Amino acid sequence: MTPWLMVALLLFNFILMAFDARVDGGHRVIRVWTQTAADFVQSPVTTLSTSIQTYFTSISTLRSAQDENSQLKQRVQELEVEMEGTKDLATENERLRGLLGLREESKFSILPARVIGRDPSVWFDSAIVDRGSLDGVKLNMPVVSEGGIVGRVTAVGPLTSQIDLITRDKSGLGAIVGEVGESNSLGVISGTSERDLLELRYVAGSVEVKEGQIVYTTGQDGIYPAGLRVGEVVEVKSGSATTPHQILVRPSSRLGSMQEVAILLYEPPAKQEFEQKLTK
Amino acid sequence: MEQVKVTVALIIAVLLQWTLRNVAEPFAYIDLPLIIVVYAALQRNAIRAILFGTIAGLAVDALSGGLLGANGFSKTLVAYMVSEIARRVYLDNLLLRIPIIAAACLIDDLIYYGVHRLLGQEPVGDVFVIIAYTVIGTTITGTLIYILLEQLSLDKPRGGGRRKDSSSSRRQMRRRNPIKLGK
Repeated sequence: MTPWLMVALLLFNFILMAFDARVDGGHRVIRVWTQTAADFVQSPVTTLSTSIQTYFTSISTLRSAQDENSQLKQRVQELEVEMEGTKDLATENERLRGLLGLREESKFSILPARVIGRDPSVWFDSAIVDRGSLDGVKLNMPVVSEGGIVGRVTAVGPLTSQIDLITRDKSGLGAIVGEVGESNSLGVISGTSERDLLELRYVAGSVEVKEGQIVYTTGQDGIYPAGLRVGEVVEVKSGSATTPHQILVRPSSRLGSMQEVAILLYEPPAKQEFEQKLTK
Repeated sequence: MEQVKVTVALIIAVLLQWTLRNVAEPFAYIDLPLIIVVYAALQRNAIRAILFGTIAGLAVDALSGGLLGANGFSKTLVAYMVSEIARRVYLDNLLLRIPIIAAACLIDDLIYYGVHRLLGQEPVGDVFVIIAYTVIGTTITGTLIYILLEQLSLDKPRGGGRRKDSSSSRRQMRRRNPIKLGK
């Protein structure tokens, strides 16, 4: 009886795995409902641990708070003056745009979210956030933090969503060294065996790339909008005219310790008909 | 009562596995559900152990970036292996259980990694470092949990001592019988 039950369970798990590997990026029913159930445990635990951390941090930073307060008051006054100048510039900009017949291009809005759970398995680096389909989150929406891009939404429940980080080997996002339109060192970002390093592949060896240059998204992957900061080039093994560079990039966002992120409510432009046929 | 205790322990282990990594990163190196699955397997109830393996594995997989079913697969297999060993070998001593937890963790990690590679998924991080840290973390925590669970079992029934006495007398009877037959 026992060996047969084991074989049946192994087969069941294997079918689940094969199905999951095949429908990467599609709707995942088991994940979605488990996440929803887990939210009732993860959210209170995260709130409790964050408030304990905040309490101890606030005690340690209390000493420097007074000095900081007076510095900040001074800075606020400076910023107020600067803001007045910016307001004038914005008004002028709007007027000129109107003259040129350009429309204000609001690409996407931002939805702040809190990380309530990390991958329970040490082998992967996904995260769970406290925003779901009820907040307007959809599959494959990009996620950013204050530093730069974090990843994309891979499963959406009513209350929570799962995010796959860009450090995953299958992340594959279109990127460029330098600003879009100013550089032609295009490539594809993917994860490496190290948690805090990314690899920029397929950048032509004939293009000059230096350490310290910033890498941005190109928007060509159909998931991430163009112009988001990915990271900084930390190592370049130069290629030749026929071989590409081997470029290592350190992500701008602190992926290991992020607490707050923002989901970009961005939906990429619809694919052309011939492209849709190609992906089927 | 023992079943209830292990089931409650498994539920707590899964809930902690879901939440603890967000509190502190090193907790990720402790596989709490595996510890309880191995504990259930050591009770020589193979069916319960492999069911626990599948359920706990799927619960972890559902919140993980890995393949759904990979942990279920590895934990089911490990539970079966441990329960088969426990049926054949005396493993009631805590010292003997320590290498069993370590070996179970090692096998679980290798199966998990292998299955992902087989299906074209590359886990993040250095494989050897992850396996080494997980085996160390899980073995130490597992030992402490087993001590705790054993303590909970010993504290319960007062009649345990009496049962022990009667069984020891039965053993003495069995030892005497062959001599009598020989005469």
